[in-house]
Amino acid sequence: MLKITFKILKAANSNRRSELLMIYIVTAFHAEAKALIKHFGLKKLYEPSKFQIFSGNDILLIESKEGIVKSSIATTFALTKFGAGEKDIALNIGICGAVENAFSKGDVILCNKIINHYSKRTFYPDILIQHSMKEATLESFMHPVKKDSLPLEIEGDIVDMEGAGFFEAASIFLPLHNVHCIKIVYDFLDFEKIDPTEVENLIKQSIPHIENLINALLKLNLKFCNSTSEIDNIPLLVYKLKNSLHLTTYMTNELESLLKDYVIRHKKLPDTIFEFFEVQINSKKEVKNYFDKLRKILLS
Amino acid sequence: MTSSEKSFLAKHFSHVYVEKDALSYPVTIKILENLRSSQIVKIDNYKEVFCRAGQNYSLQEKSKKLILAKKWGEFLYPGPSICHNFGYSNFFYTSNILNCIYRCEYCFLKGMYSSANIVVFVNIEDYFKEIDAVLKNKLLYLSVSYETDLLALEKIVPFSSAWIEYAASKQNLTIEIRTKSTNFQALENLKPQDNVILAWTLSPQEIIQKFEHATPSLSSRLSAIKKAIENNWKVRLCIDPILAIEGWKAIYENFLNQVFKELNPERIVDISVGVFRIPKDYLKRMKKVFANEITSFPYEESENIYTYPKELKEEMINTMLLILGNFVPSSKIFVI
Repeated sequence: MLKITFKILKAANSNRRSELLMIYIVTAFHAEAKALIKHFGLKKLYEPSKFQIFSGNDILLIESKEGIVKSSIATTFALTKFGAGEKDIALNIGICGAVENAFSKGDVILCNKIINHYSKRTFYPDILIQHSMKEATLESFMHPVKKDSLPLEIEGDIVDMEGAGFFEAASIFLPLHNVHCIKIVYDFLDFEKIDPTEVENLIKQSIPHIENLINALLKLNLKFCNSTSEIDNIPLLVYKLKNSLHLTTYMTNELESLLKDYVIRHKKLPDTIFEFFEVQINSKKEVKNYFDKLRKILLS
Repeated sequence: MTSSEKSFLAKHFSHVYVEKDALSYPVTIKILENLRSSQIVKIDNYKEVFCRAGQNYSLQEKSKKLILAKKWGEFLYPGPSICHNFGYSNFFYTSNILNCIYRCEYCFLKGMYSSANIVVFVNIEDYFKEIDAVLKNKLLYLSVSYETDLLALEKIVPFSSAWIEYAASKQNLTIEIRTKSTNFQALENLKPQDNVILAWTLSPQEIIQKFEHATPSLSSRLSAIKKAIENNWKVRLCIDPILAIEGWKAIYENFLNQVFKELNPERIVDISVGVFRIPKDYLKRMKKVFANEITSFPYEESENIYTYPKELKEEMINTMLLILGNFVPSSKIFVI
């Protein structure tokens, strides 16, 4: 069993995100969440909330309850409340019904196309990493779908009641390679009642696939999305220079762009930049002169 | 990419998105036969995938997907002023394929599109119909590999051969197929045409290594060019873009000496020379995703085009012309 090891995330309400990657998991109901909570060692978050939220080891799990809209709301809530950044990952994990017998009960499916049956909006995650799951088109409905009342125009290979809501919301906040729907086949649109124990077991069996995906996504984000510490320090540097030189907004924006380009070209800051922290400005003309001087240095 | 990087990334074309309207085209069928192990995802319109918000171009370059679509509307576009027309008055370009398999850091495609995925318009017959209509009344000089490298994709999409076979009977048409590929063997069995120019983009090996990722080496490109010449194809050399890297003068001098040690200049139809230049909007977009020596250079802007400062640009061009003058007459050199 692969274990994901990270530092524990602190300050969920902090305005400044750390560099740690966060994994947001959205499930519809507790039976789907139970095995994940147990496996990842998540603890209930007792913040006042309309949702059941569990967290630990840089994973945050939120139970949305059933439905496209609720899934969308819970996703939006989690990603905004806990400050999701572009390297974070969002997963919707849950059961589904298979439209055809191409799948077996328990098959773990990574959705490569997600359709909202009503709006006809279609979503495509970017699958840039290798994975061990089958793939299929997911179509999300607002009510349980049964074989005997299957709409003629159904396109999905599998159906559920959350995926499209989750994806539409998550893809507003996160890049498309970091948003995925993982569905486990529970029935063939012929269920009478959902058995929570059976759901829990199916999710438990799918955990190795989910962990593989998470690890590959973390690798993707950590390996290819790193910026240098010099570039990370630029906003603070610009803030200080703006104040010391009394720069206008236009000048500040240009300064940030020039500084970034300089660091990329030279792999370091210009030595003389710190001299500009301690100047005395007495007129607008002096602002312009100092800015022009700084500009010349940064264009070299 | 290192082997550890390759091992967790999905390979190129792991997924093929196919417009429902494009499914029955012979080109589609052929491509899908070549990519049997790929996941096929049916779509209504290529823009649903190609134009999505939230794509990361830089990451997509590591695992490109293929999108098969049907082209509607315009098939021909006027040749842009920042490209050579080689003296032809009726210069147009066409795009059967959007985006390239290579990953050159300076490429304008990074600023033109929000996706690194490759779109193939499978209805090539409609392009030919449109061109036939134009050729009734006019001569046409057509760049067919403008937003891609057709020859590099020939094994999957045999469009270079298709264009050459089409051009064979069209006296009013001249086509240029521009490439960095060494896949000349894909054309070996075709008869060389007078109205077909194979144009190879060449750069010093130092530039290739640093900026032209996944492209063949200079020496292997030169080998491919030699074969093309031996087989009586018309060959153009494109030394474009010239980049002002540290030590550029010596680098480009050694490069040109190497090129003309290998190639007989008399067998080269012409040579195009140009420094790096890019539309302003494209560079702005590129900078958001790619932070490198190319995007961070302090270019000068003129008429919405960013390029090197005037003095540097003149120095670069003059240096190149001086060296080239040792090998070819000036009438064969086109500068932009």
